[in-house]
Amino acid sequence: MTSPDVSPRARAHPQLVPLWRGLVVYRVVTLVAALVNVARFAGEWARPALGVAVVAVMVAWTAVSSVRYLRRGDAGTAVADLLITALATASTLLVDTPERLAQGGSVITTVWSAGPVLAMAIALGWRGGLAGAVVTVGVLFGVRRALDGDLLFDAQLLVIAGLAVGLAADTMRRLVEQLRAAAAREAATAERERLARDIHDGVLQVLALVRRRGDELARTSTADDSAPGLELARLAGEQEVALRRLITSAPTPGPDGTVDLSSRLAGVLPAHASLAVPAEPVLLPATVVDELAAVVREGAGNAAAHAGPGAGLWVLVEDDPAAVTVSLRDDGVGIPEGRLDEAVAEGHLGVAASMRGRVDALGGTITLHTGPGEGTEWEVVVPRRRKP
Amino acid sequence: MTVRVMVVDDHPIWREGVARDLAEREVDVVATAPDGAAAVRIAKAVRPDVVLMDLQLPELSGAQATEQIRTALPDTRVLVLSASTEHGDVIEAVRAGASGYLVKSAGMDELVDAVTRTAAGQAVFSPGLAGLVLGEYRRRETEAPDAPQLTPRETEVLRLVAKGLTARAIATRLTLSHRTVENHVQNSLRKLQLTNRVELTRYAIERGLDADE
Repeated sequence: MTSPDVSPRARAHPQLVPLWRGLVVYRVVTLVAALVNVARFAGEWARPALGVAVVAVMVAWTAVSSVRYLRRGDAGTAVADLLITALATASTLLVDTPERLAQGGSVITTVWSAGPVLAMAIALGWRGGLAGAVVTVGVLFGVRRALDGDLLFDAQLLVIAGLAVGLAADTMRRLVEQLRAAAAREAATAERERLARDIHDGVLQVLALVRRRGDELARTSTADDSAPGLELARLAGEQEVALRRLITSAPTPGPDGTVDLSSRLAGVLPAHASLAVPAEPVLLPATVVDELAAVVREGAGNAAAHAGPGAGLWVLVEDDPAAVTVSLRDDGVGIPEGRLDEAVAEGHLGVAASMRGRVDALGGTITLHTGPGEGTEWEVVVPRRRKP
Repeated sequence: MTVRVMVVDDHPIWREGVARDLAEREVDVVATAPDGAAAVRIAKAVRPDVVLMDLQLPELSGAQATEQIRTALPDTRVLVLSASTEHGDVIEAVRAGASGYLVKSAGMDELVDAVTRTAAGQAVFSPGLAGLVLGEYRRRETEAPDAPQLTPRETEVLRLVAKGLTARAIATRLTLSHRTVENHVQNSLRKLQLTNRVELTRYAIERGLDADE
């Protein structure tokens, strides 16, 4: 994996390298079987010279394809392998006599012809393995022209091998993706923390201090001139919170176009709101994060408009393997029972319809707990879509 | 009884400012320290009730200093007071034995109240910290399934804390006593701080003994 001749493609799935090595060993061993076959039956063939030429091509292609599999492990080579092997197998029709074929003589490529099925499976997963098996069986049938027990047995083995190896390759590939996602998340967090640390040591300390000094001024001075001190304290406090938000909301790009929901929400919420999040980034597809941010913005806007003066706002983000939950609560006057449903029924596209619509589109659920004097509490649950 | 406090921060102006503010409010500031190593050394000598701990410190980090102080002086409680936005550092400090977390922008009244509560053995739980602790347990569910998890009730209480409800409001909503709510919060912190087998076993036995409560 660290050798310089390995191309990015192979490095993209280093876990597959052992499978490719296994395939190459299989190819070389079965090539020997094909050579033995030539040595034994070339005398009985209709066109021995052509047969020897085909086997020569098989030797050359085994060498070329093996090198490409080990270095790149690309799907192109696997497909080329499938076609070249199919042609070589089909050439049996010209090389051998119809009589020998009718008696069940083996194709010129022997078990070597199963190689591309495994290659397709490793490169393209179970679908590739299945496709390779179907093509290979098709060519075998074209040569033998008989649906006998041998052919059915070969077909079974090829399909099983293609599926099994393909599923194994799929699993390995998925594991690599998961590892990479975890590594990317770690790197993103580390970078954000480094930035935050730099700012923390300077500006935030000073702002917090200004706030404290302002408070002190306001406390120790006479009532008349306490206003400037209070104002100073308030402004510094607000700026400290805003800056801390800014650091936390520094974009944390995740793998595969995912975005950190926590940072995004930090940018959406007003400075006085409380945002409770897990320590690690909550990575979701950018479109999902956009929609959730819009839902929270609407909920926060609604709270600002209706909760009443001095109401607090709290947001909690929870990240489970199966779903992400965003709770939004204010301690304002609350919404009278049925008021939201009424609004929707009357055709007013109010906050409820808009928020529900967005959450529905994400395949999630949104519930509202409220009552007069009880504040408003939204809970949005959006399922995490599993990777295929 | 006056609470004896030690202030640990590497910024001299801030450190002295907090110390003076606390002193004005009848809190007995017995010592200050500019770095983690000094904090551990001085704490062992003066045995404060509460250590106000910054997280980013030279020599030893706030979390490391917290761990050493808690190990040497089990009766001394650590309250993290940090402008830190590093969620990971906060969780680390809590795991190391801190019993609460307050941001530096908190007002003086809030700080004095938090110091008093910390000295009384209560956990100082902001909504933000509740979110971090919930997240930490979720992470452990997948990464360390053998470690103690939250009970459904503890999860419920923490979620309400994270949503900004006061202990009193939570008690009313869940029809629990105020003290039971405090206990749930405390237990959720304690379980994060259990690191070795002996502690785990002791915890399990205690839980078994007061399961009827």
